[in-house]
Amino acid sequence: MSRTRSALLGLAMSMAASAASAQPADVIHWWTSGGESKAVGVFAAEYNKRGGTWIDNAVVGGPAARAASMNRIAGGNPPVATMWNVGVAVRQLAEQGLLTNLDDVAKAGNWVANLPPLIVKNISYDGHIVAVPVDLHGGNWMFYSKKIYDELKLQPAKDWDEFLAQAEKIKAAGYTPLAIGGQPFQEVWLWMPVLLGSTGKENFKKIYADHDATVAAGPGVKKAFEVMAKLRQYTDAGRPNRKWNDTLLLVQNNKAASQFLGDWGKGEFAAAGLKPMVDYGCAIAPGNQGAYIMNVDVFAFPKNSKPEVLAAQKKLAEVMMDPATQAQFNLFKGALPARLDANISALDVCAQAGKQIIDGGPANQMPNTALAFSSDVDGQITDLITSYFNSTTMTAEAATAAFAKIIANADK
Amino acid sequence: MRISGLAARLVLSPTVLVTVVCFYGCAVWTAYISFTKSSFIPNYTFNGLAQYERLFATPRWGVAYTNMFIFGVLLVVGALAVGLLLAIMIDRNVRGEGFFRTVMLYPLSMSFIVTGLAWQWVLSPSIGVQHFVRDLGFPNFTFDWIAQQDRAIYTLVFAGVWHQAGLIMAIMLAGLRGVDRDIWRATKVEGIPTWRVYLGIVLPMLRPLVVTCVVLLSVAVVKSYDLVVAMTGGGPGFASDLPGKFVVDFSFERANIGQASAAAVVMLGSVFAALAPYFYVELRKRGQ
Repeated sequence: MSRTRSALLGLAMSMAASAASAQPADVIHWWTSGGESKAVGVFAAEYNKRGGTWIDNAVVGGPAARAASMNRIAGGNPPVATMWNVGVAVRQLAEQGLLTNLDDVAKAGNWVANLPPLIVKNISYDGHIVAVPVDLHGGNWMFYSKKIYDELKLQPAKDWDEFLAQAEKIKAAGYTPLAIGGQPFQEVWLWMPVLLGSTGKENFKKIYADHDATVAAGPGVKKAFEVMAKLRQYTDAGRPNRKWNDTLLLVQNNKAASQFLGDWGKGEFAAAGLKPMVDYGCAIAPGNQGAYIMNVDVFAFPKNSKPEVLAAQKKLAEVMMDPATQAQFNLFKGALPARLDANISALDVCAQAGKQIIDGGPANQMPNTALAFSSDVDGQITDLITSYFNSTTMTAEAATAAFAKIIANADK
Repeated sequence: MRISGLAARLVLSPTVLVTVVCFYGCAVWTAYISFTKSSFIPNYTFNGLAQYERLFATPRWGVAYTNMFIFGVLLVVGALAVGLLLAIMIDRNVRGEGFFRTVMLYPLSMSFIVTGLAWQWVLSPSIGVQHFVRDLGFPNFTFDWIAQQDRAIYTLVFAGVWHQAGLIMAIMLAGLRGVDRDIWRATKVEGIPTWRVYLGIVLPMLRPLVVTCVVLLSVAVVKSYDLVVAMTGGGPGFASDLPGKFVVDFSFERANIGQASAAAVVMLGSVFAALAPYFYVELRKRGQ
């Protein structure tokens, strides 16, 4: 009797266990570097702890990963979750009816109240939440060599004119003032803080958020192009096609004074065992005080007719939006948690400074190109910036006119 | 006879099927897409020539398209000339022929990615030739073509010729060895200088091989994507962009398959337009 009962009990328990350990979730992402894979491991561990089974599907390189996701979606075998850069692309996926609606999870987790409004706008389509933002990278950081800055008794510049004046001194001292690699996206990383610093926060928002072509044709934009042309003189000859992390080595080795890039640069410093504000400096870019150009990674959940997949997707969304999990995740990722109510006391000094800006409210929260434009328009801007930065013949007037034209046609 | 014909057809049919579906089918689909409103995802609404109008108004496409001809002509001519010269040198019975043949054929065994990366290092002003010569005591020596917008495309030609010349040499050498010894003896008796024999007699005999080489090189030109990506990344700016890279960028990174398809169709059309007259002439000659 008791044996039958215990056998039945055991059977019931094993059934319960197998039901719990079901919910396999294969997740496509392109976080393959050391810090990144550690970060994504936080999500995997938490999802497994809550009874799911995380199936890691890391693809090297963003375009390849996105292509893999698209192929699987188009082929009728979508992954449970797939990573994307937030922006128009995610909304386009939603527009095609390809993404799971996350409204109930979002409501239960009180997402909307705890995210920057610009992010909420970009993870929504037609009033429904369709993606999970996991981090808040800052795109307008200047990383600088403390050794060179201390040696020449310089402080990080407050505007671009001051930066150019400092660059002259740094050059005279035999260092490269500005480290940049010749890949187009690195030139765009420089362009955004230059534009923001030259035209001001309000105008930057008018151009990037409202696509205002009149402002885009204005004097602030022209000034930005002029600054870009001057900055070109302070780069080194090894620029062509150099990768951003190889470029950062110049700052790490105190050969170059500064580099402009997002806070993902901290990962490279950390990997070299260097500490912020001790071995290297981080400052918000000149003229960018009180502005944080946001660059956000999201996970989207392709629609699936199977109810168990839907359950797995919702559990995964819960895990990724959990404030504690996000804080832990970003400890390795180097960014801020997308959730503004997450406890960030464990993050480094640079992140703390960034958090102060973000907490200043929506006026400080700036979109990057991916948040503002479709990848097509994004590409047109990239082409313009890179051809201008490498050309000795294109004038700032011509570049401004071309820029305004792209903005004017951005929504067509 | 009949059965063996049937068997041959059966064996060949999968290949034919794959060719028809994967090559011609996809080419037709791409052409069709280029006349639609497609951007992020295929959209079959007919849109006339709008994609082509936008394509030809894009400065980057203008640069990439022009570059294909600069790169194409220089690579074909350059590789043929260098390959032929190498073949003739070896054909003159130099000592250590096997060694030279291996050395010269070696670049071909490397992928374009490795070739591109190596040449990027060689040509990079801060670590390559310029740096080396300056360290030798010529501080004003400048060779920074890879960093100049109007010169970068020629650095791709260097790398391309270096990579392909060995193959051309091998093919041409095989041809030269096939030339009848009696011809050489006859020309010697007549006292014709060697260079004239090569130019006036031997080369015309090798015409079919030259055609083969031109085809192989043209294919390399059209599909040259990896070399650009590894060596210049299309830069500085987009000065050394090629249509292959343009198409891949637009279809994947920029999620605009409409533009990518239009570019691909223009590419295909141009290749046809450039090669068709040549083949017409060549094949007609052979027919006679």
